[in-house]
Amino acid sequence: MRSLKNHISLIIPLFAILFTVEFYLLIDKIIKNYEKYLSKDYSIVVVAKEPLKLENLRQKIEDVIKLKEVDSSLVLGRLKQTGIDLDPDQLKSYLPRFYKLYLSSFPSTQRLQSLKEELLQIEGIQRVETFTKTHEKIYKFLIFLNNISKFFLAIILVTGLMLVFKQIEIWNLEHSERMYIMALFGAPFWMRIAVLLKLSIIDTLISTLLVYLIYLYLLNSNYLKELLGVEDLVAPRQIASDGLWLFGLGLFISIFTVIVVSLREPKNR
Amino acid sequence: MAKKVIVAKDLVLSYKKNVPIIKNSTFSITSGSFVFITGASGSGKSTLLRSFYGELRPRSGSLHVGGILLNDIKPSKLSFLRKYLGIIFQDYKLIKEWNVKKNVMLPLLIAGYSKDVCEAQTKRLLKHVRLEGKEEYYPVELSGGEQQRVAMARALAHNPVIILADEPTGNLDDYSSRVIWGLLEGANEQLGSTVVVVTHSIPKDLNVPYRHLHIENGVVYEIS
Repeated sequence: MRSLKNHISLIIPLFAILFTVEFYLLIDKIIKNYEKYLSKDYSIVVVAKEPLKLENLRQKIEDVIKLKEVDSSLVLGRLKQTGIDLDPDQLKSYLPRFYKLYLSSFPSTQRLQSLKEELLQIEGIQRVETFTKTHEKIYKFLIFLNNISKFFLAIILVTGLMLVFKQIEIWNLEHSERMYIMALFGAPFWMRIAVLLKLSIIDTLISTLLVYLIYLYLLNSNYLKELLGVEDLVAPRQIASDGLWLFGLGLFISIFTVIVVSLREPKNR
Repeated sequence: MAKKVIVAKDLVLSYKKNVPIIKNSTFSITSGSFVFITGASGSGKSTLLRSFYGELRPRSGSLHVGGILLNDIKPSKLSFLRKYLGIIFQDYKLIKEWNVKKNVMLPLLIAGYSKDVCEAQTKRLLKHVRLEGKEEYYPVELSGGEQQRVAMARALAHNPVIILADEPTGNLDDYSSRVIWGLLEGANEQLGSTVVVVTHSIPKDLNVPYRHLHIENGVVYEIS
């Protein structure tokens, strides 16, 4: 029972740290994925006198990834259907060229505005029209969540580290006699602290697994998907790599604490 | 001429500054000798022994053990030195979470011997200290005499160059005391280990020649 309590005392702060770190990472990933998703849901239409080339545009605006010319004959065809008598070829020669512009990520309102200004400065471009859909509220909420998570991350990191430190100190005291006896027989530092390392590795593994499973469940639940209206919030591969990364971070925290606490042994040992 | 394994020159030991326990003592202990250190309670016998295994650093003077100066010894060098020492305490200092076998194995594991060698040596030693069949017992399940024999087996496991014993039979019955003295004699005669024993009284029926150092008023004197 005492041993279980001891383990829980380390698992809880480690869990809190790893959970918050993962929360921050995940929100960041969701925002990026959401931006990609949104990037399919907006349009920028450029009206130009002369033909535009993607390479030329990219020299001035790096995040342009695709430029698609809108076929004017479709528009003219529709006009003809209304009964207006037109000479399509003659009209076509008067019409400017229409392009749809695609960006690498979802632009903010400010970015769209600045983009519009940048495009209008390019020679030959007469007009730029931008259309955004209604996802901006959720997007802004995600950005807000991301900023809040940074704040929580800082608080939980400090509190969690203090608790981890305290628990390792308790372990160190509990095993001090064993470590002292080992030292009397010439055991090297690593051998003396092996018992603390073993305990901390086990608890790090448990904490990481708990965090990993909770996030896996949350990301696979319909609630978040429905809220954001996105099918795949984060790729499974990304969650798996996060699991490894979290385990590494947990190991670093616990091993570092064990070493610092153990090095504070009396010098004459 | 026998090599000196412990050399103290104007040695001063103290826990607090200006309150010396051992004062300006000069002595040496040669390799392969059997030495008793006696003195009244609180005279500094155990303090002197602690300084031999680097637990307490000299306040002034110098102390060499196995040719290594202990005054400002680094932890890594102290670990190296301790691999050549076998230490026995009055309170046994066994690891209570480990069974008898693992306790005896400790110096061998530290020395990096293979598992097979550790097993074989432990088995041999436990037979030697008459504790065969108690390999899986934990210290708490043994009597004081048995615990001290485990501590003795642990101290002898790696054939130490120097054995340091602090009141090894202080709390033991006659039978266990005889076993312990017999083992210390054996280690001295057969393995050639230098044995330094801190005690209140020297056993009368000892079968090996010995030196006798006595501490009085903080000074170490040679009696015989």
